[in-house]
Amino acid sequence: MKNWRLITDDGVSASFGLAADEAIASRVGKGLSPPTLRLYTYRSHCALVGRFQNLDQEIQLGYCLQNDVQINRRPTGGGAIIMGGDQLGVALMIPAQGENTHSSTRELMSRFSAGLVAALNELGITAAFQRKNDLEVNGKKIAGLGIYRDPSGGLLFHASLLVDLDIAQMLRILITPFEKISDKEIDTVANRITTVRKETGGQILLNEVRQQIASGYAEVFEVYLEHQDFSHDERLEIARLEHEKYLTNNWIFQTTEVPDKIGLARKKTPAGLFDIRVAMAGRIIKAIYLCGDFFISENTVADIEAGLKWHASEPAEIEKTLHIIYQKHATELDGIPLQTMKSVIQAAVENASAQEGQEIQPYGCFVAPGGGYA
Amino acid sequence: MNTETEVSVSIYILPERQTMQPHQSFHLPEELYYEPTHHLWAKKEAETGRIIVGIDTLGLHAIGDLAFLALPEVGAAVKKGEAIGTLEAAKMTSELRTPVSGIVIGRNDKVLKDPYLVNQKPYTDGWLFSIDPTEWESEKSQLVSGTAIQPWADGEIKRYQEQGLFE
Repeated sequence: MKNWRLITDDGVSASFGLAADEAIASRVGKGLSPPTLRLYTYRSHCALVGRFQNLDQEIQLGYCLQNDVQINRRPTGGGAIIMGGDQLGVALMIPAQGENTHSSTRELMSRFSAGLVAALNELGITAAFQRKNDLEVNGKKIAGLGIYRDPSGGLLFHASLLVDLDIAQMLRILITPFEKISDKEIDTVANRITTVRKETGGQILLNEVRQQIASGYAEVFEVYLEHQDFSHDERLEIARLEHEKYLTNNWIFQTTEVPDKIGLARKKTPAGLFDIRVAMAGRIIKAIYLCGDFFISENTVADIEAGLKWHASEPAEIEKTLHIIYQKHATELDGIPLQTMKSVIQAAVENASAQEGQEIQPYGCFVAPGGGYA
Repeated sequence: MNTETEVSVSIYILPERQTMQPHQSFHLPEELYYEPTHHLWAKKEAETGRIIVGIDTLGLHAIGDLAFLALPEVGAAVKKGEAIGTLEAAKMTSELRTPVSGIVIGRNDKVLKDPYLVNQKPYTDGWLFSIDPTEWESEKSQLVSGTAIQPWADGEIKRYQEQGLFE
């Protein structure tokens, strides 16, 4: 049985949390540190954007400044998130040599989230890696996943597990389309996410969840986890990386040339009113939201939304993915022609493209840019 | 920049035993050189001697639709295998490593604004950067070319199948 190291730490700063993950991944790649599973929390609260996001379009900078919310940029991709005492950070740092460099993202995410899935299942939560690189429970996101390959050959798998979440606080920190934060807006977001405490119906302690996740990884990867701290050399390396990268404006406030866009299309059809919104990065659909008064189950809506997330916006590619989803939900989608669905989605994409250059409303990782859901 | 007219694209025909859909056949132009692990292609332009670099179709199949890219600055001196850029697709970020050493003399600004162009036209409009090579003669032997392309691609496709990349 192989040995992995287990590190647990709590209340870390945004810069330390991120620098530690990258520094250890790099050292693991060079053979200087052992494969490591780190289960940790950030201080409440930190706002972390994805590797290439434009920070000022994702985060309420003024609110964060006034309320001592630290902001930073992850090395992994994806959307903006908040982290704090009720969100468990999972960082698995292993050598990438055993992982073929161009294994698919989906395959890697699925493999490395298996420990998390096993742990949640042990807690009585039927979580599964589904669709586009999130862990879900009945179509609701419970953890976001990301992967970073360090140039040294180290691989960092990141997950943010919602043990609990203050949705109102999240809506104050992340930029959203909501003009106010009322119960309605909170409910809208709550319809798309879930938490460990919500699923277990109790006040399970974060430490209990952490212990279960450690066991889940040990079991799935057949490793012995040895609980240790960072070494002296590692702390020096982390401090250097904080100073040279994660505490610099060059890293935190960097921008991308890929334009963010939002598009909306509404169409009355015999199957009902479709109100479809897309958030795009260039020609890639970052997120899509199906609203309206048509009759489809939440799970099918979630399948369509997830299937088209981080997806090319080309009509042929959308149609290809819709075909797969329509085959899976043939009976339920029988009354809604695929071409109708496709045409409204395409109209939203085209409206987004037409808005290039105009100021848009961005979205957070757990936040929909629109109102209610079907 | 468009090198389409300079590339005689050959179609890599998949062995019959494989069960991929028609859209999953891969174009691997036979006159290009391929970095076998990271799936970058390199093409030497006869007139200028510069090397054009991009991502091959096998690599793109594994990566998925590109959402973001960061490319090296023009003028940077780079060594083969060095990480000189970053890409993001489906929430995974990974480093771009140059397949040849030299000085970066050009980069494709179009793909910085529209990374999906790399998926659409990987060997033409979707090129990434160009290099004035310093060690091309020795380094090209470490790249896959000519008759070695097909057996290498066979191996990669087999590996992809084993990993379940063809659904």
